[in-house]
Order: sequence, then structure tokens, then C-alpha cells
Amino acid sequence: MTERVPSITVLVPGLLRDCCAGRPEVDLHATNMRELLLDMERNYPRLHRNICDETGAVRRHVNLFVNTHNMRDCEGMETPLAPGDTVTVLPAVSGG
Amino acid sequence: MANRVVLCIGTKKGLFVAEAPKARRRFTLRGPFGEGVSVYSALIDTRGTPQLYASSCNAYWGMKVLRSTDLGKKFKETKSAPAFPKDDGRALANIWSIEAGKDKKELLCGVEPAALFRSRDGGDSWEMVPGISNHAHARQWHPGNGGLCMHTILRDGNRVHLGISTGGHYLSEDGGETFTAANKGIGAGFLPNPYVEFGQCVHKIARHPDAPDRLYMQNHGGFPEHPGVGVLRSDDNGHTWTSISKGLPSDFGFPILVHPQDADTIYVVPLTPMTRTCPDSSPAVWRSENGGSSWKRLAKGLPKKDSYFTVLRDAMDIDELGSPSLYFGTTTGQLWMGREGGEQWECLFDSLPPINCVKVAVV
Repeated sequence: MTERVPSITVLVPGLLRDCCAGRPEVDLHATNMRELLLDMERNYPRLHRNICDETGAVRRHVNLFVNTHNMRDCEGMETPLAPGDTVTVLPAVSGG
Repeated sequence: MANRVVLCIGTKKGLFVAEAPKARRRFTLRGPFGEGVSVYSALIDTRGTPQLYASSCNAYWGMKVLRSTDLGKKFKETKSAPAFPKDDGRALANIWSIEAGKDKKELLCGVEPAALFRSRDGGDSWEMVPGISNHAHARQWHPGNGGLCMHTILRDGNRVHLGISTGGHYLSEDGGETFTAANKGIGAGFLPNPYVEFGQCVHKIARHPDAPDRLYMQNHGGFPEHPGVGVLRSDDNGHTWTSISKGLPSDFGFPILVHPQDADTIYVVPLTPMTRTCPDSSPAVWRSENGGSSWKRLAKGLPKKDSYFTVLRDAMDIDELGSPSLYFGTTTGQLWMGREGGEQWECLFDSLPPINCVKVAVV
């Protein structure tokens, strides 16, 4: 029997909601950030294209938070995800 | 019947569209479209029902191509933007040129890092053109101050001319399948040996359909040790180039244009190389009516002093009316129109965001 892959809630900013039929959040299945982005690419390709470039890297001015921690401050793509975690997509701060 | 003049104005804060009757007495402005996002390239495609295209260089969410089918009243993203193949290793940083291709729905797109993309369906899907994008030189090109950009795409039957900064001029004579560097006579004043096979900082290339063998180039000039490398002409389809800079106050500049009805009449905006503003803080467009043998300063109506702006490589265009008007946009957000081929200038809009590109068409 295979272990069920945990469900992760991804919070989508207003500017990107037209990439997922207007929904403010989508559910994806992954055990780490790399798997989450692959699942996003499969199920929401337009959303994925806005968040990652064509090399698969998260765009420079996009931040992905696992609960309250920026994935860049954790283990990057290898940041583990657990059932019930929330990933928040946010544009980086700009302005003075 | 074509009776409206339409301008696409790509700015740091989005795309604006200006429109006027053919007399060009009063332009109305709409926009910004793709608000808050820099627009470096635009195309007014007049093949069939006019369509407007613009790149939208979103620092957060990546590149988009915007399209309007109602002359710029509203824009929508196309279904996709150019993107490198997944295993290529390069990622799109900007779109610097959008041009009409050979077939009715074909578009060509020059991007940063320098590569060429083609769409066969009006911008909804894109494929990389490998002949130049994977050229043996491609990984040796270097970014100029603006980035490693393919900014010029000129088609002439089976010939395709490309301008790359910093890469030089590349020529295809088989419809874009293969390309060769064609830079003989184009100096790279920033290299110990300025006359290299490739790697020149070409700023813009222009041609006229009535003189297909001839090309004009604004190259990166402004080197006292190498005077005259900035403004060039070729009479053999770009295989060799010679200087036509004599008589200009500076051979540094960005845009170069050809008069729509006269292949001998060309326009440049000389800039002081260190500040990239007009000499003596007094803006002027310079015109040659003999293919670059001599030049005349056109400044009537432009500020006489205390003016410090840059006109970027795609920020000048000319309409195709009988007595054409030139248009240029400035990095300080002014849009100027020069009636009668630049004889008399007036400011159409004086407080736009910094202007990257200006395209005009009569529709």
C-alpha cells in the first residue's frame, strides 16, 4: 500500500487568480517544495509559469512561504512539507 | 481607407496608445495597459485588420505579450510568451523587439538573453529559432548596459538581419535557417582590437524597401581613439560597413530611422557618450538627405538648453504619410512630434513615465 501524498494548500495572490479560475487557493500534493512546483506545473501550468521561469527556478522577485518561513531561508526546493501546511505566494517587497 | 495615426508608447509603467486623425492636430491618449510594468517593444501590425502587440516585462511574474484587436482600447495577454526550452538553461529576461513575419499570422520576437522566437499564430504559441539562438557564438555574446538583447529584426525576402547588443549584426540569406556574423567595418571601441568577427555593441539597424541592399546602423560610438565607428552604412546587404559619422556632433546614439519615401534620408539623435544626453543640453534630431554624406540639425521647437534626456534605441519612429512626422519619446517622459520630416517640433505629452519605445502606423 502506497503512502498518501499530503495535501498542501497554496494561497494565490489576487494578481494570479485568473490562472486558477479565480480561486484564492488551490490544493496540491507534495512532500517538499520541488514536488509541489511539479504538481503545480501539471495542474496549473499558467500559475506555474508566473512563479517559475523556464529553468524551473522560482522567479527572483517571487517569495514562497511555507507557513511563515520563506523557502529560501529553509532548504529551498528541498524544504519539506507536511499535511496541512500552507504555502503562500507573494511578490517581493518593492518601493522605498 | 487609412485615416488615423496610432502611436504605441512603451513606458516604464506600461503601454500607452495615442491616436489622432491624419492631420495630427490633437492626439488622445489611453492607457496604461499592463499597468506598472515596463514595455520595451511594440508592434502595430497592419497586415489585415490592425493588431497591436506589446511586450510586458514583469519583474515579478515574467514576460507577457499583450495583444489588442481594437486599436488599443483594450489589451489581453496572448496564450503564451516566448520561453526557452526546458533543458536549454537560459531564462527569458525581456522582450526587445516584436516584428511581423513572412506569413500573415507570423510574428518574430527578439529577446534577452539574445535569441529569436517565431509565432505562427499571432502570438499564442512560440518556438525558438535555433539558427541564431543556438549559434556557435551565442554563449560568447555579452550583455551591454541594457542587457544582452536582440533588438533589431529586419526582413527582406530570404534575408534576415539581426542586431544584437553585444553581439553585432547577423545575416541570414536562407530565410532564417542559418546565420553568419557580418560585421566587417563595424568597430567595437571597447575592445583592444575593435575589428572583431562578432561582439560589437550594435544599437539599431534600419533599411528601406526601395534600397534593399543598403543598411544604416547606429553602433556604439563615442570613442575618441576610434572616431566614426558610431554611424555606419552598408551597400552590400550588411557584408561590409563604412562610417557616415562625419558632420555629426557625436557618433554615439541609439535610434536610426529611414524616411518612408526616400531611402537616402535618414535620422539619428546624437548623444554625448558619457551622459547619453544631447550635446550642450540642447536636443536635436540630425537628418541626412544623401545617405549620410552630410547632416543637418533639426531642432526648431525643441528646448534650446537645460535639457537632459536620452532617446532610447526604439523610442523614435516616423509615420508614412506624404509629409511624414517623426516621433520620439524621452527617458524623462516626453513625447515629441516633428512635422514635415522633423522641421518643426511640438511636445504631444510632457509627463508620461520614462519612455522605452515608440511605434507609429497609419491605420
